[in-house]
Amino acid sequence: MKIHWLRMQSFRAHTDTRLEFAPKLNLIYGPNGAGKTNILEAVHYLCLTKGFLTNTDLHALQKNAPFFQLTGAFGGTRRRAVEIRLTFDRRRRKQIFSNGARIERRADLVGMLPVVAFAPSDIAITAGAPTERRRFVNNILSQERPAYLTTLLRYRRVLSQRNRMLDQARRKRETPDAAMLDSWNASLVNLGSLLIKARSRFLADFAGFVTKAYQLLNAVTEEPAMTYKCAIAPPDAVDSQDQLHDLFHERLASRAQREQKVGRTLVGPHLDDIHLSIDGLALRDYGSQGQHRTFGIAIKLAQYQYLNSRLEESPILLLDDVFDSLDAKRARAILALLQSDELGQTLITAAEKQAISRFVPFAFEEHRCIQIRDGAEAANGQ
Amino acid sequence: MYYSSESVEELIEQLCRLPTIGRKSAQRLAAHVLKMPRSDVKQLAEALVAVKDRVRACRICKNVTDADTCALCLSTRRDHGLVCVVEESSDVVALERTGEYNGVYHVLGGAVSPVDGIGPDDLTFGDLVNRVAPDPKNPEAPKIREVIVAVNPTVEGDVTAHYLREFLAPYVSVTRVAHGLPIGADLSFADEATLARALAGRRPL
Ligand SMILES: [Zn+2]
Repeated sequence: MKIHWLRMQSFRAHTDTRLEFAPKLNLIYGPNGAGKTNILEAVHYLCLTKGFLTNTDLHALQKNAPFFQLTGAFGGTRRRAVEIRLTFDRRRRKQIFSNGARIERRADLVGMLPVVAFAPSDIAITAGAPTERRRFVNNILSQERPAYLTTLLRYRRVLSQRNRMLDQARRKRETPDAAMLDSWNASLVNLGSLLIKARSRFLADFAGFVTKAYQLLNAVTEEPAMTYKCAIAPPDAVDSQDQLHDLFHERLASRAQREQKVGRTLVGPHLDDIHLSIDGLALRDYGSQGQHRTFGIAIKLAQYQYLNSRLEESPILLLDDVFDSLDAKRARAILALLQSDELGQTLITAAEKQAISRFVPFAFEEHRCIQIRDGAEAANGQ
Repeated sequence: MYYSSESVEELIEQLCRLPTIGRKSAQRLAAHVLKMPRSDVKQLAEALVAVKDRVRACRICKNVTDADTCALCLSTRRDHGLVCVVEESSDVVALERTGEYNGVYHVLGGAVSPVDGIGPDDLTFGDLVNRVAPDPKNPEAPKIREVIVAVNPTVEGDVTAHYLREFLAPYVSVTRVAHGLPIGADLSFADEATLARALAGRRPL
């Protein structure tokens, strides 16, 4: 998948910027605060309906502007060209249009324009809270299978409805209506089990990609592992739907009193975690800083390779400031990927042009350097 | 852009409060109303008020009607042993358009949604149970054989269907229309062919 051009209006540092991209490598350089990262974020928004920096869309909207608008023209090897437009206004209304037609459901867009972003904030995947790792897995599965995102959104809806019901009962010091709770439990278990099964299968497949990427980055023979931790079922119980449903219901029953006391749902895949380890030792407890960084880059490389192997289209690769923070060995591993034939379109940001142009030959037709200054393209970018 | 007439502004404000009407559409509608003959505008206004004054819920099925009992419930040509449960009156219209259904209806008035403060008591759920459960005082009353649950395939619709089954299953066979409908779709937006297929492929709930 490729983005041909992008227009950003009232979006972060960009009042109105239009950029053209080359089919292969695009180096976006300029001083900090000029709006380089915003460009990658805008592409991410158009592909997945949200940015990779923060979850608050309102922050992306320029002060005094009634709304921001992003427009991009995409094309793939097999798909017809498509123009995606996304607007977000002060009433927090996000609207997305594909060739002028309104897209009602996120799942109708996500996966059509695959994208993988590397950003300094990725450190949270290995070092942060479980929610960061769930977000990582959800991102990949949503892009791979639109049905996963549909199920995830329905599950979240059930969760907020069930939480509201538990909370209302708690405030009134009542026990929730048993038949009503049964009905919400049935939906929670149905949808939640689908998520558990999908995540479990995914992590089994993904492990090989992680090991390969890790070894590419690290000459030392260390064995990384990424295992699914689900409080409801052990890994061998996930494949049988009946068994999984039973375990889920049992767990709900055992936590029912506690749930009523706190007024929210305490059982389900929204509490899953993914356990990371090297040679059998938990990364979080025993990992060195170097191992954290290597693991972090390895799972992002694995994300790219996994989606690349599963999807018809190569994902657009967004590399935000990665070269400034990497040592030579890790930088070389990423550059090796950049120079390989299997790579699709890539957008890289850096403070200095030289940081990358030394390693990558910039051919006039396939590559492009874009200089950004004060939220706009500088006149003599080439 | 604001109009120099307060009356026009007021009309636009009122139209904006209707679902699916944004400010632009409201302005277009208001401009159209300004051009309409007075008699037509009066008819429209009277129709709006009449809806509130005359229309009420059918005694039996809770569908909108001008009389005590609706035409569908009074019809002798329909199968009164078969009841199709829908969320809104507009769903009845959608199902009637298929021409494939010959039973009667029950309009719930929505679906269960704690976030919106809607529980079973806010729907015509109790009326449905009373309608389906055998009446000990009147054992000769016509019996309902089957209830088809045709609520929307949303999260709230699914839960409403599950809840209905818990209460109705002791008395009747309860089926749900097959989900040929796109997930999250509204019954009233589905085309007739899809609806007819969904109705034919109903499954035990
Ligand atoms: Zn009636």
